[in-house]
Amino acid sequence: MPGSNNTYLAQASEFISEYIGTLMGCGVHTSRVVRNTNRIAKALDVEVHLSVFHRTVILAVRKDGEAMHSEIVEIPNLPINFRFNSELSALSWEAYDHHLPLHVVKEKFDRIVSTPRFSHNFMLFMAGAANASFCRLFGGDWLSTLIVFIATLVGFTIKALMHKHMSNLHFTVIVTAFVSSIIAGVSVLFDTTSDIAITTSVLFLIPGVPLINGVIDVMEGYILTGFARLAKAFIIILCIAVGLAMTLWIVKNQLI
Amino acid sequence: MIWAILHDAVFAAIAGMGFGALSNPPIKAFPYIALLAASGHAFRFVLMNYLGVDIALASLAASMLIGFGGLWLGYIACFPITVVSIPALLPMVPGKLAYNTVFSIIMFLQTMEDPEEHSRYMYMFIDNGILSLTVIFFLAIGVIVPIALFPKIAYTLTRRQHKY
Repeated sequence: MPGSNNTYLAQASEFISEYIGTLMGCGVHTSRVVRNTNRIAKALDVEVHLSVFHRTVILAVRKDGEAMHSEIVEIPNLPINFRFNSELSALSWEAYDHHLPLHVVKEKFDRIVSTPRFSHNFMLFMAGAANASFCRLFGGDWLSTLIVFIATLVGFTIKALMHKHMSNLHFTVIVTAFVSSIIAGVSVLFDTTSDIAITTSVLFLIPGVPLINGVIDVMEGYILTGFARLAKAFIIILCIAVGLAMTLWIVKNQLI
Repeated sequence: MIWAILHDAVFAAIAGMGFGALSNPPIKAFPYIALLAASGHAFRFVLMNYLGVDIALASLAASMLIGFGGLWLGYIACFPITVVSIPALLPMVPGKLAYNTVFSIIMFLQTMEDPEEHSRYMYMFIDNGILSLTVIFFLAIGVIVPIALFPKIAYTLTRRQHKY
């Protein structure tokens, strides 16, 4: 029945496009997305052809070399999520090895993507602890470490609030960088390593994952998506620099 | 000396786990991230402070250690190599150098009237800018080399059976 075949094809490609969108959106480097997708497609008995860009993916799915279904997948703007990366990759192997049918794969996929992220408070504490340890690593003393910890907590909270209620990512980053660094800048009032405190207070904003993913993509031949990731990361770094610059302008006489 | 190295390792482990948490890794991955971050950062610390290696080469060596360590631990625990390696690399991202780059731009603009200071900040900008770009590039290379050398292992890390 050609009719049922077409419906299966449509369902399969709808699922595959959702799978690709999630992987690309949550910070998986491009070659892994392509490999995982091909594996899932083999498990579902279809053939896929992909053309990956940084905001969309052009997807062509065909079955038995005849019927063809194309879609343009928009890549959603998801927060980076390595659990999805890990579990969705494992899902692709599981589907491939056990030849799982579409509805089972879809069910497992839905279960994975509905797992909640870490709670806000946990991430808040971890970001604070990470930035504070950074301050120690760069040779800051304990007072600076404490100030950086507090500055990060405030900055991270403001970032989450701004992200929830409004605004443009870049504006959020500028404001967050300014607030964190100006709180760390309070350290110039004390006899402590204030330049280290100010530097490290904004480091939790550095987009380390897109930077490294970008270089990986470029080196693996996905130059377009790689440079797109790098460009995005550099713009964020520039925004951090703008926020930091405003603080430095205010406190620079105490720093030199 | 031992204390200094341990101190470095412990705080690198906390920083790795902390920045890792922001990218929401599987809970089971945290011990591996901590181990990799600590060993990588402490290795770079030893290379730079006791063996006189410069920061770029030391970062390359340390990121290779993390990359191959990530491949091995990923094999044991069924994680993609990037899930454990990238958070472990984050503490080595050269924030201080990037900061110096920005700081020197601001001071460069502020010292137009004083040629000597002006050129000093120009030099500081180029110096720190080149170093931070090189270090970031080398950090990523550390993850790519294990994948490029052992693609069959790296591509099947999350497979539960028939591993290579």
